[in-house]
Amino acid sequence: MNVLVTVTEGATVDDEFRIDGLAIDDGSLTTDLNEWDEYALETAVRLAEADLVDEVVTVTIGPEDCEGTIRQVLAKGADRAIRVWDDALERSEMLDVGAKTALLAAVVETEEPDLVLTGVQSADEGFMATGVSLAAAVDYGWAAVVNALEVDPDERIARVRRELEGGVEERTEVDLPAVLTIQTGINEPRYASLRGIRMAQRKELAVRSLADLGLEASAVESRLRLRELAEPESESEARVLEGSSEEAAAELATVLREQGVGR
Amino acid sequence: MEFGLSEEQRQIREEVRRFAEAEIEPHAQAYDVAEEFPHEIVERAAEMGLTGSYIPMEYGGAGYSILDTTLIVEELFAVDPGIALSIVASSFGCEAILEFGTDEQKARFLEPVALGEMISGAAISEPDTGSDVSSVSTTAERDGDEWVVNGTKMWITNGTVGDFFVVLCKTDPDAEGRYNGFSQLIVEADRDGFSAEKITGKLGIRASDTAELVFDDVRVPEENLVGTENAAFLQQMHFFDQTRTAVAAQGVGIARGASEAALAYAEEREQFGRPIGDFQAIQHKLADMHTKTEAARLLTYKSAWKVDQGEDITRLASMAKEYASRVAVEVANEAVQIHGGAGYVNDFPVERFYRDAKITQIYEGTSEIQKNIIARELLGKGL
Repeated sequence: MNVLVTVTEGATVDDEFRIDGLAIDDGSLTTDLNEWDEYALETAVRLAEADLVDEVVTVTIGPEDCEGTIRQVLAKGADRAIRVWDDALERSEMLDVGAKTALLAAVVETEEPDLVLTGVQSADEGFMATGVSLAAAVDYGWAAVVNALEVDPDERIARVRRELEGGVEERTEVDLPAVLTIQTGINEPRYASLRGIRMAQRKELAVRSLADLGLEASAVESRLRLRELAEPESESEARVLEGSSEEAAAELATVLREQGVGR
Repeated sequence: MEFGLSEEQRQIREEVRRFAEAEIEPHAQAYDVAEEFPHEIVERAAEMGLTGSYIPMEYGGAGYSILDTTLIVEELFAVDPGIALSIVASSFGCEAILEFGTDEQKARFLEPVALGEMISGAAISEPDTGSDVSSVSTTAERDGDEWVVNGTKMWITNGTVGDFFVVLCKTDPDAEGRYNGFSQLIVEADRDGFSAEKITGKLGIRASDTAELVFDDVRVPEENLVGTENAAFLQQMHFFDQTRTAVAAQGVGIARGASEAALAYAEEREQFGRPIGDFQAIQHKLADMHTKTEAARLLTYKSAWKVDQGEDITRLASMAKEYASRVAVEVANEAVQIHGGAGYVNDFPVERFYRDAKITQIYEGTSEIQKNIIARELLGKGL
């Protein structure tokens, strides 16, 4: 059984940042492995360590700059990696869910994984749709926001737990092949070990262009256009509660209740 | 000439930094105050392979070079020297086993250390033996196929938490020449007659365990001899380039941690209506601190790189160790000064850096000994 993990390099915005046209200034961004994908990767590596999975492959859409992040993923236990990039993507103003789906679907068709794990979302773009959209495109079963997983390779079933609003928990069985979007907290992701970092340098990192994947440039044309990036005006209001401690505490309790804290 | 790190080295540095910030930093103050060995953190570090970075892959380590190890040491010490030392010192003594030990010794001792199942130590200093290593008085006498060890070792890192120690003993009291007649023996902590007493009240690196070891007729089998009988002094000297470079890296780490903390504080702290970093008096301090740190780092990198090339670099290693430890003390001092009153209490890490920095001028050969060595090498005088 094989697992494909989609991995993206996400950007975190510093506390103080500058918007430069339709982008945030590079100087106020830090890039790193997307937090949700880290959990998805850990899930896959643990399945491999439990001998339920033979190979863990990762796929990343991104330029050469993100190879450091991909090596990090290999150091944490992925067996090999695929990076998809193309001049057409470089020129594209924005990669929407449709474009990402087309690229990943092409990789799924060549790799034919039994299980695809994605993060629930990417921290920087937050479409929260790629995993599910991919499942629809390749006609796999799917489950979103998974926070516990058991895989039965013989029955070809993934048993998942999903946390719903209001403290309800749902247990679902999904037939394989399937796409699962993984929620943070499903496990405790490891640090890359020094041995892992060492071995990662020798693992395969294949680069695929649109042509390699049998796609035309039109397949990744975006239906979305970014029009503006703005920092919302923030307001703050301070209120000083006066009187004795008892009076101030009672007043504070009233204010908190009005704001919906406690019952 | 190439000054850049490889992609792999950058990855090591980043991952160790992530570990240090997430796993060490939040607990540094508590372990310092309690003078407690950070077992849980050392275990997590072992999972990542930080306890045996230089131990070869075949014995469970990562087989990294001295330069790679230098990067790791700097990252850990930049966050907390006490916990950092607890991690990197968990393989003290193993360098002798790796270089001079038998295959059987390597399999038995190196792998458990690399995997974090055992902690080792090196026992050289004694109550009356500091800088003058040749005055070691702990003895080991042959009795059949065993060695019988008697004596006291002082200031031994990991003394009460270590599972075994590589102990420098006098094995031939009649040997001629002050460097002859010593041997290194592995003594396991569970041998009868072995005892360790923790030393408390240290100025700094308080999370790291330090103890006095007493050997009272401790018997170890003859196969616990490391390398050649009576040749331990030369064996020990073999590692000075490496261990002094490692202490230099500790100094660089402390200086970096302190200078970064000072920079952050200077940008944040406001007086007279503006950040104190706007004042030239503070700016010049910051400029000096960061320049010295960078200079110490380059000296240390060069020393580490030369060790990896297999060159004999007595003078350079002593220069790196003396300079980087001095920079650590100076920079930590200025970092506290920039913090003002806030730097005098342990709410900020600079108070710890200030106390922790001093040891780097003392252990692995004091600054005075390093200068003697540098001068001796310059003037072409022998040992």
